[in-house]
Amino acid sequence: MLKVTNLKKNFKSGDVIVAAVNGVSLTIKDGQFASIVGRSGSGKTTLLSLLGALDKPTSGEISVDDIDITKLHDRELIKYRCDRIGFVFQGYNLVPNLTALENVMLPMEFAGTAKNERKARAQKLLDQVGLKLDKQDRTPTRLSGGEQQRVAIARALANHPKVILADEPTGNLDSQTGELIFDLLHDLAKSENTTIIVVTHDLAIAGKTDKVFSLKDGKLTK
Amino acid sequence: MNPISRGFKNAFRNKIRTLSIVIILGLSMGLALSMLIANKAVTNKINTVKASVGNTITISPAGFSGFSSVNNSLTTAQLSSVSKLKYITSVDESLTDRLTTIGSSEPTFPGAGASSAATSNNQTSLTSPVTINFGGGGGGGGHFFINGGSSLPTNFSPPITIVGTNNPTQINSENLTIVSGKTINGTLDTNDALISQKMATKNNLKVGSTFTAYSSTMTVNGIFTSSSSTQTSSNSVIVALPTEQRLSGQSSDVTAAIANVDSLDDLNSATNEIKNQLGSSADVVSSVTEANNTVAPLNSVKSISVYSLIGAIIAGGVIILLTMVMIVRERTREIGVIKAIGGSNNRIAVQFMSEAVTLTLIGAIIGILLGAIAGNPITKLLVSNTSTSTSLSPSSRFGGGGGGFAGGGAGGHFISGGHGVFGFARDNITNIHSAVGWSILIYGLASALIIAIIGSGAVSYFISKIRPAEVLRSE
Repeated sequence: MLKVTNLKKNFKSGDVIVAAVNGVSLTIKDGQFASIVGRSGSGKTTLLSLLGALDKPTSGEISVDDIDITKLHDRELIKYRCDRIGFVFQGYNLVPNLTALENVMLPMEFAGTAKNERKARAQKLLDQVGLKLDKQDRTPTRLSGGEQQRVAIARALANHPKVILADEPTGNLDSQTGELIFDLLHDLAKSENTTIIVVTHDLAIAGKTDKVFSLKDGKLTK
Repeated sequence: MNPISRGFKNAFRNKIRTLSIVIILGLSMGLALSMLIANKAVTNKINTVKASVGNTITISPAGFSGFSSVNNSLTTAQLSSVSKLKYITSVDESLTDRLTTIGSSEPTFPGAGASSAATSNNQTSLTSPVTINFGGGGGGGGHFFINGGSSLPTNFSPPITIVGTNNPTQINSENLTIVSGKTINGTLDTNDALISQKMATKNNLKVGSTFTAYSSTMTVNGIFTSSSSTQTSSNSVIVALPTEQRLSGQSSDVTAAIANVDSLDDLNSATNEIKNQLGSSADVVSSVTEANNTVAPLNSVKSISVYSLIGAIIAGGVIILLTMVMIVRERTREIGVIKAIGGSNNRIAVQFMSEAVTLTLIGAIIGILLGAIAGNPITKLLVSNTSTSTSLSPSSRFGGGGGGFAGGGAGGHFISGGHGVFGFARDNITNIHSAVGWSILIYGLASALIIAIIGSGAVSYFISKIRPAEVLRSE
């Protein structure tokens, strides 16, 4: 279970302190597919960064399976991100000179998985997300946007994460491909019992998730 | 794929940039290696010269240069007192003079009067086997040169050096090998002489043949070659010291002496003892001082090469540092993503370090090739320029004074080549050959690694400063 209690994150902008996330509290059960919606600048991405331990909150708690990740040291945070979190970015963010297969193997290398094992799992995951074998040895520049996002999803799933955090995963895709990617995430949430939190401003997509959180000026309104 | 192989692969991500960087690095490392090669060659030469230093002290008349008049000589009595000093084991004495070939004419010089056949008693039937270099240039190596640009008469033959010595095993610090006949006793006054092999060939002489010198008939007792076969030794006749003193009319005079000291440790003490004994009548220079004077230009080259080496390595380090900083800034997003998916700072730093090492190793290969090609010419250029600019002659004026002739009636017709105890070393000081050995290759690779570490060291700091949240926020 992911439990957030009174989470705050302030930024200094000149002499002014801006509260990007202002007292957010929420609970998401294991295997739930949740979405965070809101306008640009509402604090969605900042909240996602805090949940993914990419940034430290000003105050508040983030509890994942009863472990408060805001109190973890840097080395523990790296391990937390490696073992428990999977990220899917709007711009895919694949390493450009690595093949699709090598991109998926990368988080497993960080986790210390044996080479043979990580290759087999990467092939299986790419197969699962629908990337054909002949495309697995291609570098990202030789894949379409949809295919790159499939690789990014496979990479996010590599270390059997507890939570997948997706920041506008369909933002760069056409509506048809976006829908396919969304369905893929949805199916994975069910089959792998992985909690998926998607940040989006597409209300149609948000409407298909199990739970919707609406953010405005750093505060949850729904 | 591990961080090291990823770093290696990343080094070729932008081929044009990689090519540019490795070429610049190669030039920098080539310069560094050339300086290293020069430094090693010069160090070897200095060590060789210093290793040749014996426990000897050169004694010459004060202000003596080349040949001298009777008024400016040492005496056997003075040197006898030197031989009795503490630390001194023996004293090798010599009296050097020059002989003109009978019938040979000397060239004319401005203000020197008309050309005329040599008429003094200092004549010989021998003809010199050496050739003359016209015009300017260095006076080393026993070559003669005209000081003033005059033309030579058609029947001119260069003067021949006659050395009277009590130790006929050496001439101008070159060891002699008797190739025919036998040596002479340097302390017995006989008309026996040793002549060089070239002199014997030039004059069709063999052991037992005779020639004239100072109007006396001399017998060839032995024919020698010297260890380096310089033109000075080839142009020499060696007789016993008393013989030369008698023939030249310089009874009890000595133009140079070498005192042999019991050990290198006592060299300075012995030098001071001799200076105290002879006072201002003699110049007393120890072989260590001679050696230091001789290798002084090489020490300059050594310093230049060290500074250039350090400069080239720093330049290489700065090149790779700036390159890596540029690459890290360019890949900020990628580093952020790797951190987001579980990559640690250390692992990412190793990847970038591997990339830096790959670039510098390729640069090192280019540098080694450039160093191997340019090392020898650069070394010779540095030594040549420094030797010319620092003018080697002062230290080598002492001693035997073998080459050329000065003084005489017309005054200063020829400038002495100035061979002394270290004349030979001086003449060969610019004869340096450098080579690329395994040590140079190892140094090259080691300096590449140093450059890579310098260059990628700061990169670790930049990597640690990249926050993955910024990557997400910038989307």
